[in-house]
Amino acid sequence: MSFFGFQENNLEEERQRIRDGGSHENEDVAVYTWGEESYDGLGDALQEGGDDFNDETFGGAGNVGKDFDFAGQASLLEPGLTHQKAANHALPSPAQSRLDPSPAHPIEQQSIWDDRSPFSALPRENGGASRFAERGERREPSTSQFSPFPESPVLHQPNASQTGARTLQDIEAEMRAAALQSRGASQRQQNALRIQQEEEQFLQDQAYQRQRLAFQREREQERELQLQALQRLQQQQVMQLREQPQHQRTPPPRMLPVSQSPRFLDQRQMMLLQQQQEEQQHQLRLQQELQEQLRMEELERQLRAQQISQLNQGPTHFNHRRQPSGPTIAELQALQQQQLHRRQRSQSPAYQDFNNIAPQNVQLQQRLLAELAQVEYMRDFQGATQAEQDALRAEAMRKIVEAEKMEDKRRKKAAKIAHMSRYNDLMTQSDKDFITRIQVSQLVTPDPYADDFYAQVYGAILRSRMGLQTQDERVLKFGTGGGISLGNTQKAATRRPNAMQRMEQQVERIVSNARRREEEKGLHSLHSLQGALGKTSGRSYKAAPRQLLQVDDNPSTSPTLAHAHPHISKEDATAWSSEGAAKEAAKLSRETLGNTGNVVRKDPLTHRQVLTTLEALYDLVLKVEHLRREQPQPEEEDASRQWQKEYDDLIELLWEGLKVMVPLETSNPHPFVSLLSPSKGKKLLPRLTRHIGSARMLTLMTLLVACFTQLDVVRQAPLLDVLEETAERAEVERQTQAFLGSVLQSILPIVANLELHVVTALLGLLIDRSQDIAAVAKTKPGLALLTLFLSRVEVIKQAWGTGAEPVDLMTAGAALEQQAVFDQFFVLITPHFLSLFPSSRITLQAHHPTSAALAIDIIDQPVWQFLAALALQAVPEQHQVLVTSLRDKVLENVLSANKGWVADEDERRTKLANVNLFLHALGLDSSQIAL
Amino acid sequence: MLIFSVFKTLTDQQVTVELKNDLSITGVLKSVDQFLNIRLDSIKVLDEARHPHMMAVKNCFIRGSVVRYVQLPSEHVDTQLLEDATRRESLAAVKR
Repeated sequence: MSFFGFQENNLEEERQRIRDGGSHENEDVAVYTWGEESYDGLGDALQEGGDDFNDETFGGAGNVGKDFDFAGQASLLEPGLTHQKAANHALPSPAQSRLDPSPAHPIEQQSIWDDRSPFSALPRENGGASRFAERGERREPSTSQFSPFPESPVLHQPNASQTGARTLQDIEAEMRAAALQSRGASQRQQNALRIQQEEEQFLQDQAYQRQRLAFQREREQERELQLQALQRLQQQQVMQLREQPQHQRTPPPRMLPVSQSPRFLDQRQMMLLQQQQEEQQHQLRLQQELQEQLRMEELERQLRAQQISQLNQGPTHFNHRRQPSGPTIAELQALQQQQLHRRQRSQSPAYQDFNNIAPQNVQLQQRLLAELAQVEYMRDFQGATQAEQDALRAEAMRKIVEAEKMEDKRRKKAAKIAHMSRYNDLMTQSDKDFITRIQVSQLVTPDPYADDFYAQVYGAILRSRMGLQTQDERVLKFGTGGGISLGNTQKAATRRPNAMQRMEQQVERIVSNARRREEEKGLHSLHSLQGALGKTSGRSYKAAPRQLLQVDDNPSTSPTLAHAHPHISKEDATAWSSEGAAKEAAKLSRETLGNTGNVVRKDPLTHRQVLTTLEALYDLVLKVEHLRREQPQPEEEDASRQWQKEYDDLIELLWEGLKVMVPLETSNPHPFVSLLSPSKGKKLLPRLTRHIGSARMLTLMTLLVACFTQLDVVRQAPLLDVLEETAERAEVERQTQAFLGSVLQSILPIVANLELHVVTALLGLLIDRSQDIAAVAKTKPGLALLTLFLSRVEVIKQAWGTGAEPVDLMTAGAALEQQAVFDQFFVLITPHFLSLFPSSRITLQAHHPTSAALAIDIIDQPVWQFLAALALQAVPEQHQVLVTSLRDKVLENVLSANKGWVADEDERRTKLANVNLFLHALGLDSSQIAL
Repeated sequence: MLIFSVFKTLTDQQVTVELKNDLSITGVLKSVDQFLNIRLDSIKVLDEARHPHMMAVKNCFIRGSVVRYVQLPSEHVDTQLLEDATRRESLAAVKR
């Protein structure tokens, strides 16, 4: 076992050798001679650190208690012990020799006391030369079995008894061992010891406090003054801090380690100043806290002192207890508690001192608390000043708390500002200007309106829809048209107006600068800044995206070439087949009829031609719309005339582009009808109507009626009579909706203003031009158109009936004419009454969902409407015909509605409403029908 | 500028931005700039199980160059107007 790194086997041998009086020539360990006369005193020169707590740790402090000595034998040893300590080690004391039964050991005794290792306390196994003692440390491990700390002193006690007559050393060793034991092992003993200690210290403390008591009042006064001064100082400082801008401790993460700019240095200085101030503040606060704590401690001490004095003076004060104004026991206890908390939180240096004198201990505190209960007895000891002090104290406390609160608030705020302003002034104003210049120069365009067209118009539409009439400019314009689009300025309103103004000024400056540079550099002014913010790949945002649709500018007439374009979508492809069929038909008719008159027969427009023509038309419409927005004031005659001319030219172009004036027989379908076939053609019409005069619109409508059967929506209408969802059906549905929504809507106002004879003529034209008027009536657009005409006639007739319009010969003739046409139409349509209903044409199958029935009822509605319009026009004989042919249909609907053969309430109501629509026109109602 | 213009009208609307790293973020469009950098608020990632690290993220700034698609709310886009705008732009391009 080589506990200390010694070689074990050598130890025994060595010892033997030394015991045998062996020489130490080959001694490899340095020999120390403390305490001997030969001691050179070098050991005193050693500077050893960290020994401050040795006493506490190893129990050197204070007197060794006697509570371990139950037999009282230790007292016999006491004088010798103390004497020994005090005596010079070199000389054997008389007491020692008196007590010592074996005077043969004086030298050994000395050496033992000289030896400062704790092992020296252990009993010697054997007497030996002073050398042994000198090398106690070396010898000891072997004898005490290498236990470096005497945690088992019991082990050694038998050693002492073994020697028979106990030497002084033995007894001392026993004592020490007991002391060590009591400190290290037995908790109970330790507690007892500590209590003893505390009592002693408490006594000391009392003395100390008695001294302090004298100064106490003086100090209290002093402190008040001091506090006031401090508060004043603090307030000043707070004011100072408020005045100062908040620059912060955390330096902004500048990329450059040292900035050359003087502004940065300024900032550094500011920051340093700030830091200093913060530190001052901190110190001030600490001071305050310290003061408060001191005061609290003082109070405690005072209380205790009172207690003590009370104890000293005996119970003479019992008779005058309880002052009404003084604090109660509970209050005092609370105070004590508070103090304890405070103490646990932080201990002021002063208090730590105090604690060293009276070590903190729960027991002690509890005792103190108990003692505090008696505090009220000695209120009078303090006299009248107590109340005063209380008041002052309370005042001071309040002020301190307030100041602390304020300080806390301020700090929080400062920290927040600091956090936010960490990056303040990272960029100089010129930096910012530079960035802004680049950003704005990217946004500034010669035509801000056109570049932000979508947002501008969308915003305008939205505003008009919401009924807002805000006419503020959405575009910043500068000089001759350059500017910047602001888009939706809903947010700009919330921004500070002066910010907007500043930006405006800045932009103005930037634009003028850019313009000047443009003049200098030619056309590439915008590119001068390119790459200024770093290189971007190739194209700038200005460069248009790569065109994916390669639409040829000069439309080719070759169908093969047109076919070759793969970009034409599928929906167009379906149109292609019909287009082809139409072409075949046109060719056929040309062959049979030949060229009649001067009409040049042509192939109908190809789909591609239609699309390019439409795009050209759209461009024209856009130009016209743009022109309309820029209509000059009527005062500016020249400009107005110029504008009007431009406008008229564009309208003329538009009109020609529509190909309405192309002779009817030119092709089938007519070019105009071809233009209407794509949905964007249909959607174009409403946008044209406000520019084209009503006379032209009438021509357009006449053409439409004449070529009605050529329309795609009419030709492909039968597709709608199936319920299966197919792409074709969906497409037809979409086109039909577009037609109803756009084309018919745009001719509606024209029809509403037509004269009776014109309506008659149009109806006649429709009947003439369509081989099968019933087929037209079976389509949704056809039915809608017929209903439109019939209701217009009805409106005119009603106006006559009420005398709103004078009935003259002309109109009477027109009415006759109309009746003739109507009769013809009625005769033509009569056999098809039932098949007009989509519900009759569609065969509802089992696998269709129940909702399909309702859907059918809904699409039946226009038919009932048409029949109602028809019934209003009809003469009684025709009513007869109507009722007989529709009797079954009406009955079926009413029956199913009343008998409950319907899926739900909605369907029932729809059925009845439909029937009633028709019956009301005849002057009947579904409820009159008896089943 | 057209798409920029369109996006400007879509501020405060719900959009879905598909990034080139297959992340799909749905959120309220707060702002967009001429580089089509997008700022989204109250975002939600499409496949949250696959991107748990995005669950805590409430708003984001997306660099325009990493965007693959933006799904627009159709009810807030005027298709016809958009067509017109493209026509205008192509007209302008031809003019130049």
